[in-house]
Amino acid sequence: MIRRFAQGIAPLLALLLAWQLASASGVFPAQVLVPPSEVAATLARLWQDGELGDHLGTSLFRLVFGFLTGAAIGLAFGAAMALSKLFETLFAPVFQAVRQVPVLAFIPMLVLLLGIEERFKIVVVAVAVFFPVALATFDGVKGIPKAWFEVARLYRTPPLPFITRILLPAAVPPVLTGLRLGLTRGWLVLVACELLAADSGIGQMMEMGRQMFRIDVVLAGVFVSGLVGFGLDRSVKLVERRFARWKEA
Amino acid sequence: MTLHTRIDTPHVPIDTPANGALTIANLSKDFRIGREALPVLDRIDLDIRAGEFVSIVGPSGCGKSTLVRLIAGLDTDYAGEIRLDGKRIAGTSLDRGLIFQDHRLFPWLTLEENVGLALLNTDIPKPQRARIVAEHIALVNLTGFEQAYPHQLSGGMAQRAAIARALVTEPKLLLLDEPLGALDALTRVHVQRELQRIWLTQRSTMVMVTHDVEEAVFLGDRVIVMDAKPGRIRRIVDIDLPHPRDRSSPILHRLRDEILAELTGPQVDSQAPENLVHLPVREVRA
Ligand SMILES: Nc1ncnc2c1ncn2[C@@H]1O[C@H](COP(=O)(O)OP(=O)(O)O)[C@@H](O)[C@H]1O
Ligand SMILES: [Mg+2]
Repeated sequence: MIRRFAQGIAPLLALLLAWQLASASGVFPAQVLVPPSEVAATLARLWQDGELGDHLGTSLFRLVFGFLTGAAIGLAFGAAMALSKLFETLFAPVFQAVRQVPVLAFIPMLVLLLGIEERFKIVVVAVAVFFPVALATFDGVKGIPKAWFEVARLYRTPPLPFITRILLPAAVPPVLTGLRLGLTRGWLVLVACELLAADSGIGQMMEMGRQMFRIDVVLAGVFVSGLVGFGLDRSVKLVERRFARWKEA
Repeated sequence: MTLHTRIDTPHVPIDTPANGALTIANLSKDFRIGREALPVLDRIDLDIRAGEFVSIVGPSGCGKSTLVRLIAGLDTDYAGEIRLDGKRIAGTSLDRGLIFQDHRLFPWLTLEENVGLALLNTDIPKPQRARIVAEHIALVNLTGFEQAYPHQLSGGMAQRAAIARALVTEPKLLLLDEPLGALDALTRVHVQRELQRIWLTQRSTMVMVTHDVEEAVFLGDRVIVMDAKPGRIRRIVDIDLPHPRDRSSPILHRLRDEILAELTGPQVDSQAPENLVHLPVREVRA
């Protein structure tokens, strides 16, 4: 356990050390390659004066709203496509085509439609979340083995327990994977949006840092957004494991 | 083990139960592949007495699974008649249980929950359900594993759990489609013995498809030998021996050899084996 942890953390420490040494060597101008110690100090200061907390709070608020909207629509859309032949015929081709478009490519159009206020950021996150969730739900429900439907028919399982005891548990693992993917993608796209157009948020904090040649602030933002993404991914993975406890222990 | 089985086996007089008689008359079944109709079963006639154990053997693809699925009511598109106690089969019913080669337990439910699932559509009051489930888990000797998930059970245990689930609704007719096909030889012998014990105690009608001719003659009152393309009954062999049987009985071995010859015989004639030396198969056997 400790060994695994040490093995996981060692490369990170090596990277930090190399970074510190490189900036100390003076090959790059100090303004461009800020040493990690200084980034850490900036991070601590930003945290203490509450600036970081404000930006992070704003970003997470957008993420949560966008995620909930996108996930709900994605779940409903994916399930409808999997269960209704008509719905699939009507929407699957468009869906499969549009999901190939990078979400960032929607930004200019969305800016024109919605401006650059909160609404816009939430919609962008929702769009980013929608596609992986809808796809995973579609595949998850479609992928339920016919054998299990047959068992339900044999025992004439009533509709409600059929949904709660068979359909949902069978579809939950792939759907959770889709939700996790959606959440991390939503975060990615949100930070990118904030870099482009925002008056607050982690991305905006970084953009401000760039404009003021405060590379330490930019790097602090890089660190925080990475940490948040990592944390989100890990938390959903924990939920996934909880739901899959009936699998190989 | 032998002793255990002896004690467990009640010597019930062979009386015929009131129901569970299956009548199949002029049953034909086609599958549509594009525009083509592929005949899979061709005019099957078969009467199965209530409480009888019937084994079905035949080459793979001859329609054994199709037949069993029709009787179970999973497929209702057929010509002819299938009747259980005079009632035409038009869908699934808790009167008819079906066990597949794979146990089909739900991996996210415990053994107890899996067995209990079969009772959801019965009017048995809730408090009694737990007792009935426990009884059937005991019937297949799995007491103590109520809270286990399927992946924690061995292949033989999982298949016994599937048997418990199929029996918990007390079906008049239990269909088994190669139920022991995926088990190793030793486990198979154990579960065969349990199946026999269960059949002797429950006295429900059982129809079992198997590719193991020895198993077919060991368990069956009759063995139906099927032919392929299209699937039809080639021969019905009566196994007129009392249960429980002695696996090493010479009569059983002779019947097994006879049925094996029946199954493999014509193929030796029609398409010569690609051996370099052509053995005179029939003479060797005689
Ligand atoms: N759903 C289906 N659609 C088309 N053909 C099928 C279907 N199910 C089975 N068949 C065909 O019917 C024949 C009998 O299949 P099956 O009953 O599974 O045989 P067995 O169980 O005796 O091996 C096979 O040729 C198989 O390919
Ligand atoms: Mg089969």
